[in-house]
Amino acid sequence: MTSEPVTTFRSRLVARSVAQRRRALAAAVLAVALVLPFVPPFDSQDYQRWLVGAALMAAMATAFDFTAGYINIVNFGFAAFVGLGGYTSGLLAVELGISPWIGIFAGAVVAGFVGLLTGMLTLRLRGIYAAVMAWFVGLAVMGLVRNLPDITRGSLGLNVPLLLATSDNLPYYYVILAMLLVTLAVLMLVIRSHIGLAFRAIGQNVQAARASGINPTRYLVLNFTLACAFAGWLGGFYAHYYGILTPDVMLTSHTVEVLAVAYIGGRGSLWGPAIIAFPLSIGVEALRTQFATLPGLHLVLYGLLLIAVMVYWPGGAAGLLRSIEARLVRRRADRTEENRAA
Amino acid sequence: MTPATNLRAVPFARRYLTFTWLVLGVAAAVMVAAALFQPSILVDTFVTGGMWALMAAGLALVFGVMNIPNFAHGELFLIGSLVGFTVFSPIQEAILENPDATLLKVIGPFPGMIAAALVGAAVGVGLEVLLFRPLRRRSREQWVMNTFLLTAGVSVLIVNADRLLIGNDFRGITRYWDVRPIQVLGVSISVDRAMVFVIAISTIVVFSLFLQRTRIGRAIRAVAQDEAGAQMAGIDLNRIFMLTLGLSSALAALAGASLLFMFPSFPDAGVQPLYLAWYVVILAGLGNVQGAIAGAFIVALLQTLTVYYVGVGWVDVLPTAFIILILLFKPSGLFGSAVKGIWEQ
Repeated sequence: MTSEPVTTFRSRLVARSVAQRRRALAAAVLAVALVLPFVPPFDSQDYQRWLVGAALMAAMATAFDFTAGYINIVNFGFAAFVGLGGYTSGLLAVELGISPWIGIFAGAVVAGFVGLLTGMLTLRLRGIYAAVMAWFVGLAVMGLVRNLPDITRGSLGLNVPLLLATSDNLPYYYVILAMLLVTLAVLMLVIRSHIGLAFRAIGQNVQAARASGINPTRYLVLNFTLACAFAGWLGGFYAHYYGILTPDVMLTSHTVEVLAVAYIGGRGSLWGPAIIAFPLSIGVEALRTQFATLPGLHLVLYGLLLIAVMVYWPGGAAGLLRSIEARLVRRRADRTEENRAA
Repeated sequence: MTPATNLRAVPFARRYLTFTWLVLGVAAAVMVAAALFQPSILVDTFVTGGMWALMAAGLALVFGVMNIPNFAHGELFLIGSLVGFTVFSPIQEAILENPDATLLKVIGPFPGMIAAALVGAAVGVGLEVLLFRPLRRRSREQWVMNTFLLTAGVSVLIVNADRLLIGNDFRGITRYWDVRPIQVLGVSISVDRAMVFVIAISTIVVFSLFLQRTRIGRAIRAVAQDEAGAQMAGIDLNRIFMLTLGLSSALAALAGASLLFMFPSFPDAGVQPLYLAWYVVILAGLGNVQGAIAGAFIVALLQTLTVYYVGVGWVDVLPTAFIILILLFKPSGLFGSAVKGIWEQ
């Protein structure tokens, strides 16, 4: 969301047209996402299941990027917060018969609360401590779920009622798409406010941010809590879509998957992870069905892509798109310059 | 973490330091009493503690010298166990065919461990040359977090390459040395476990002597303290980085090979050693090699006590909770020093 300093009238015009074009592009992407389940081959149940998985991954990667891309702290316990939300909502539905539509928000509250505690305890330490401690908290939560089979049924798995009365994938796709849009919209609004400015200031240089009168811990905790709450909310959808929960939801490898998508999409953009999740997770599912005899192939690809992005291509897909856009804008400016000269 | 001018920024713990030590002392006394009550706890602690010390010392060294929080450290353990198994399997068959070859029986397990350490070192050097050096050349901005993610990618890659190329099954052995168990403190322990302890302790002693007494060891410590200063003194940083990662990886691989009889080789074999090493390093204070060695035994004791008095299932939960509690009071770790590295600024 960085923009060049706007100085002249003409550059302001260019900036406005850039904003317009961005809006048009976003609308086009949204339109594609809306009609995608009717376009062959995506109009079959199997492919629509992939689409639901992709949209869920997109939303999780967006929430992950909110922490990783802006305050530069990697929440290694992310999957545990997703699972925490799922288990909260699932247990409320199973034990108390509470509707999943209320349960998923309760899941968000619980995950957010645990995120708040974790954040308050770890975020006054240096970034790496916070990342590792979030990982430990995640491991501890997973261990708790595994060791309390009286409540969670442990590794046997908890059967959870579905969110909708149908097992048709299409309505679920629109539910998770709406959840993705809400996640994206809320987090983008926060980022565009003065709070987002504080996040970026802290992410770049804590000392400088503190010198400008920002209380880093307060903003870090706010960011972390919000991201965890969204993780829990999405976890609720996960639970009531797949209908079964096991402690394996919280495995660190799932965090790493989300992390890989977020970084391949482009850190610190929110929309980059949201968009790249679709081709990535659909491609991964296609690979998985194509080469069912080769387990782990898709994760090898994730690993390679993550390494390549970290070493050679730090902006990810969003960075690539931004540089293309910048080049287009420059070329257009040059052309108007030439026209005027002629 | 911050200058003490801002009172709110003074770690909560520092204001209650005496209280912290009191709590820690009571906790330690309880643990020692429990351990003395049942000598097998002590034995278990020393056997597993020795190996976690190998893992954690390497992790701490890499963080101290290169500022890399290595998330792929467990995968070196995995590689070590895989190499150990590959080398030892034919030797084991040879032993079964000639039951009278005493010498073969005694030294048979060592080639696998040595090969594991060598392969581990090669992988470590390869990682430095192929990944960390290009990244270092490109940008050192946000280095700690970026390398953490990079090593996460490496970990995913190695685990799944293992699953893809080698297979998803367990490759393990029941024992290295087929001899009757020995008696220590009235507890019978297998020769394998005793040997693991001996290997761990002797490796740690050699490793510490290397760091403390040799020129190269001094150079490594100099880089850990002040990179720019070390460079000005004529130390070739690239060489030191290669050596550090190679050494740390060799230690992890050696641990993997020596523990093959307890931890068979399979794609996720590195997960538990990884987070145990991280418990230790966080508990001891990041980058503190000597603290890591001491911390390894503390974590091993916590684990053993949990297994004995609570249940195997809780072995991840209770030590974690305890470590989180300790860090609330001492955020820089048990043996955290006041000296700040470059990475903290």
